Amino acid sequence: MFALRPPSLTGYRVIYFLLVSVAVLGGWPDCAFAGDHLKKIRKRGVLLWGADAEGGAPYVYPDPQKPEKFIGFEFELAEALAAKLGVKARLVQNQWDQLIPALERGNFDIILNGLERTSDNQQRIAMSQPYFVYAQQIVTREATRGITRLEELGGKRVGVLSSTAAQRLLEEKGGVELKIYPGNVESLRDLKAGRIEAVLLDLPIAQYYAKDDPALKFAGAPFAPGYYAIGVRREDLMLLAAINEAIKDLDNNGMLERIYRKYGVWDERQALLKNYQPDVIMHRKSVSALREWPKFLPLLLRGAATTVELSVLAMALAMVAGLFIVLVRLYAIVPLQWLAKAYVELVRGTPLLIQLFLIYYGLPQIGIRLNAFVAGILGLGLNYAASEAENYRAGIQAIPRGQTEAALALGMSRWQTLHHVVLPQAVRVVIPPVTNDFIAMFKDSSIVSVITMVELTKVYGMLAASTYDYIGLGLMTAGIYFALSYPSSIFANWLGRKLRYDHR
Amino acid sequence: MIIVEKLVKSYDSKRVLHGIDHHQQPGETVVLIGPSGCGKTTFLRCLNQLEVPDSGRITINGLTVEGGQHPNSGEQHEQQRQLRLRAGMVFQSFNLFPHLTAMQNITRAPMVVRGMPPKSAEDLALKLLAKVGLESKAHSHPCHLSGGQQQRVAIARALAMEPQVMLFDEPTSALDPELRGEVLSVMRQLAEDGMTMIVVTHEMQFARDIADRVLFFEEGSITESGPPEQLFLSPQHERTREFLRRVTLRS
Repeated sequence: MFALRPPSLTGYRVIYFLLVSVAVLGGWPDCAFAGDHLKKIRKRGVLLWGADAEGGAPYVYPDPQKPEKFIGFEFELAEALAAKLGVKARLVQNQWDQLIPALERGNFDIILNGLERTSDNQQRIAMSQPYFVYAQQIVTREATRGITRLEELGGKRVGVLSSTAAQRLLEEKGGVELKIYPGNVESLRDLKAGRIEAVLLDLPIAQYYAKDDPALKFAGAPFAPGYYAIGVRREDLMLLAAINEAIKDLDNNGMLERIYRKYGVWDERQALLKNYQPDVIMHRKSVSALREWPKFLPLLLRGAATTVELSVLAMALAMVAGLFIVLVRLYAIVPLQWLAKAYVELVRGTPLLIQLFLIYYGLPQIGIRLNAFVAGILGLGLNYAASEAENYRAGIQAIPRGQTEAALALGMSRWQTLHHVVLPQAVRVVIPPVTNDFIAMFKDSSIVSVITMVELTKVYGMLAASTYDYIGLGLMTAGIYFALSYPSSIFANWLGRKLRYDHR
Repeated sequence: MIIVEKLVKSYDSKRVLHGIDHHQQPGETVVLIGPSGCGKTTFLRCLNQLEVPDSGRITINGLTVEGGQHPNSGEQHEQQRQLRLRAGMVFQSFNLFPHLTAMQNITRAPMVVRGMPPKSAEDLALKLLAKVGLESKAHSHPCHLSGGQQQRVAIARALAMEPQVMLFDEPTSALDPELRGEVLSVMRQLAEDGMTMIVVTHEMQFARDIADRVLFFEEGSITESGPPEQLFLSPQHERTREFLRRVTLRS
């Protein structure tokens, strides 16, 4: 008997046991979660849907009449969908180009926000039946001639929303100077300000924001149709099935058409929804940026070069402007002293983000048009000038009164006293805090991505959003920041030591 | 040469100088003594405009500055500076510039204020350092000098501007007793060379040795003055006697 038993059975058992163990230890919590997630939503009674309502019209946006309420065709779709599932819908606000990572973190149950049903997106998450057929629309200024088709965008400065089909379309086409924006309102505003020549965007957005603007026009017909679909986590198969069912029902009973007509986004293309055939998606291997670092490092380093350029120039401006401010504050006539003090307090008491928006988007409204690089340097530099002025003030006031008196007693003028006696000594006091600010500037400079500057952090965000390797790219990016700032603090220590009087 | 008329100075509402009058001949050495807080230092600081007097007038070598208001025009600043150029000041706490060597401490003002060429300024500095016995320390920073050495450099620094009067504000008070001698002997030499000097000090023996005239300050007024023999040996006022008794007992 014993001899008849297949000798490999023990081997199978071991393998089976191992597989089960792996499933239990590694995959089990997800599996159990997955099967039950629809149940969990029903038990909770609330469907959490992720979307970006900032500049989100006509998808989902605060009602201009009652800003505490949201409206939009996706808002109503979410309500209808939730009703089909027998629950209430609740919006979770999330920045648009970070919706997929947020879904994976479990911040909400589904993404319902103009998410394109592309293979890129399906590398990471599962996508439902389409619920809307969009197309791309070129928008230009009213006076612009000669742009009506995608091909005619070559060599032009064109604005797109970050991580959209429009961005991919133009990147694949090549030869276009892309300006990537975090929101739709900003790109159209820059178009009107003349910073870019055209904007390529999804038709519904163009219809809401550009159609009725006399300064803008639709250039040519819509093209490159595609599908919006709802995103869910891969493992939530039951939820996906229920959503597909609900979308089909809403389409068949005319609900979708009613909602879309209400917001003026219904067109003949929506007929495509009826005979939609899911395409077969090839699952691409996920990209490991660390393993393929020669491909990614140069891109990150190019971003780092912008970061360095920006921080160094902005800091130079801050140090010079700060000196001017502190001299006015300490030595000018009284009304000017107040002005300098007011400047410092105002700048320190308001967020850098707002200051950048005012400089970049606000100034064009009074006729001052700056490009993003200059605006970034001005914004960072003038902001840090206030801190540097305070650093200098502390440094100057740390020099004993007797030093000034001795210089004055020798017949030096007040300016000579400052120049030959006070400032040379204050420099030594001021080096550590100014270096600290310089290092902080390296990191703060990432904020200029909001005014379309592509610096290190923005490059990281863009690469990570397309490869999903947030960890590998994150480590590389952090490494570059560290490699930039650590030598600065070593240099500052060395300088501080060198300038000490007793080491000469 | 020095004429002070009705000099009044208050801090907030507290009056520190009650209308001081003082005349001094060229080459005369005057020593101010008196209890702490009696106004000696304030008097000295008014003379070179580190304090602006409330009223009265100060004349040094023909240049008169009126008290009364803080200078705010360029012209008033210039007048103030001209007065300072006539009077060199030596401080209790030396106030050497710590970022400069002994040599640079001395050369900076002649070069910046008078536009003296660097070479001449250095020759002058070496001569003055030799005079105070520190030519070997020309390239030391103040932090490498003893208190006595620092004060001697400070005297040389003031002399480099060729003032007509030297003001000494308790020049040895911050020094250990064994370091005072070197500073006092430099000052004694200066007096013998005919420098016009006003010295605030608590060194009574020194005062007796070098003063042509001693002024006794009491609560913002000069209550007694005279040649040292007279003031030290037979003071006229009870307060002066009491002060002298106290300081002699202490030393």
